[in-house]
Amino acid sequence: MRFSALLRKELRECLPWILLAAVVFFAFGGFFLRAAAYFGDRYWRYSRFSPGTTVSPYDLTCYPTLQTAGPWLFFSSIGLGLILGVRHFWIPHFTRTWPFLLHRSVSRKTILAAKLTAGMIAFVISLGALWVGLFWYATRPEVFPIPQAPRVFIEGWIFIMLGLVTYLGTALSALSTANWYTTKIFGLIFATFTTITLLSTVWAIGLIAVSTAILLVQIFDTFLRREF
Amino acid sequence: MTEIVLETKALTKYYGGTLAVDHMDLEIPRGCICGFVGRNGAGKTTAIKLMLGLLNPTAGSSKLLGCDSSALTPAIRQRIGYVTEGHRLFRWMSIGGLEKFQRAFFPKQWDDKFFADMIEYFNLPKKKKIKHLSNGQRAQVSLALALAPNPELLIMDDPTLGLDAAIRRQFLEGMIELIMRQGRTVLFSSHILGDVERVSDRIVVIDKGVLRANCSLEQFQKAIKKAILSFTDSVPDQVDIDGVLHCRRSEKGLELTLVGTDDEEIAEWAKSAGAENYHIVQMNLEDQFIEFTAPANYRRLFQWEEK
Repeated sequence: MRFSALLRKELRECLPWILLAAVVFFAFGGFFLRAAAYFGDRYWRYSRFSPGTTVSPYDLTCYPTLQTAGPWLFFSSIGLGLILGVRHFWIPHFTRTWPFLLHRSVSRKTILAAKLTAGMIAFVISLGALWVGLFWYATRPEVFPIPQAPRVFIEGWIFIMLGLVTYLGTALSALSTANWYTTKIFGLIFATFTTITLLSTVWAIGLIAVSTAILLVQIFDTFLRREF
Repeated sequence: MTEIVLETKALTKYYGGTLAVDHMDLEIPRGCICGFVGRNGAGKTTAIKLMLGLLNPTAGSSKLLGCDSSALTPAIRQRIGYVTEGHRLFRWMSIGGLEKFQRAFFPKQWDDKFFADMIEYFNLPKKKKIKHLSNGQRAQVSLALALAPNPELLIMDDPTLGLDAAIRRQFLEGMIELIMRQGRTVLFSSHILGDVERVSDRIVVIDKGVLRANCSLEQFQKAIKKAILSFTDSVPDQVDIDGVLHCRRSEKGLELTLVGTDDEEIAEWAKSAGAENYHIVQMNLEDQFIEFTAPANYRRLFQWEEK
């Protein structure tokens, strides 16, 4: 009951940003996907499959229509990560609501867990659900007859997870009491480094999990010990 | 034996090189209304945050309801009400939403009727968002939220700061509502000595992080007094009487602010110093506080009395 009250509060607090990220991704990603499906279909029908052309199995997946929505998913995800990190962990410093929140009849761990759970749910319900929806849409034969490459779908989830890493990095920077020119910036730098390094690697998921674990340990440690 | 609900032992807090709270030893017995007073920057908020475990002490310790402040359990927090400085609440929430949120943390002790009565008494619209409320209204919501769970110990950090006289009166009446319940303890910091005088039975004075007084209000008021002595000849150079806080001289007179000095002692000294006459002036709490916490070289900007 207490955790769900905290969770509801955190989700409600970031609802406008969840919606904004979903709208941006849906509008732009959806538009480019639709356009890609439309033009791609004609490209395949009328040029690639012209008489005498040999089509390899690779050809069948080399035009991943879904990929056109990828950049928008990436930017929406990173943007959402930054904004949620700021909203959940930075704004309470300015509004001075930490003391009120921390004097709840729950442990600090629970308060932090509610925030982080809300952050993860935000990613899943806004970008994750939309990504699944777009994948389902793009794989329908009437939209585009060539099957979508599964790796593109996984890449989309990598983008979403990188957004989550950005969220955690921002949270860590917000919670750190150090100076900007020392370790306060560590969280953001770590998240940026992870994002750049793992952006287009297939084996990214495992490393993202490691990065997430490192950030989570740091965040819990900082949050439980810091002063408000 | 009186139960101690709030206890600090050599509680010390440094911010970098700045000493905010200096070896504070404080004990607050159950059932008292304690005014926690000090000048701006005296260390009141820091002390309260240390007691609530929001800050970590540099040295020393504090206990609330028998539990160490650095490890307050959810069960203990449930028994403590806290009104934050400036009544900082979630601005996007409505009063009703905030009530729901707060109720979730006090499932057994939340008093719906009490909260509704207070909101009605303060004439607050439940659907209104916190960001659209005035300072005074936010203070009222804050108080209602803290009182509805019927806490055993209520800690308020400058709750009447920035409120006008009418709202302050209402706020204090709300506080008295809690005080009427048996065995409830209140610690509230304030700059407004009139409020402290009106509702407190105990006073704690902190000055530059140092605990200067922790006694009943009556004792405090009795202890600090002013003696005005006039002399026919010259005023003595030495004022060798115990408990002198401040000594102001004029050509033919002395104005002494004394702490803990008996009237007889003053009379004796006045006689031995050759005073023509003397009288003891009763001071109000505000004057007592100002004199008590004023630095040694303190002097008034304008010497109205002498003019």
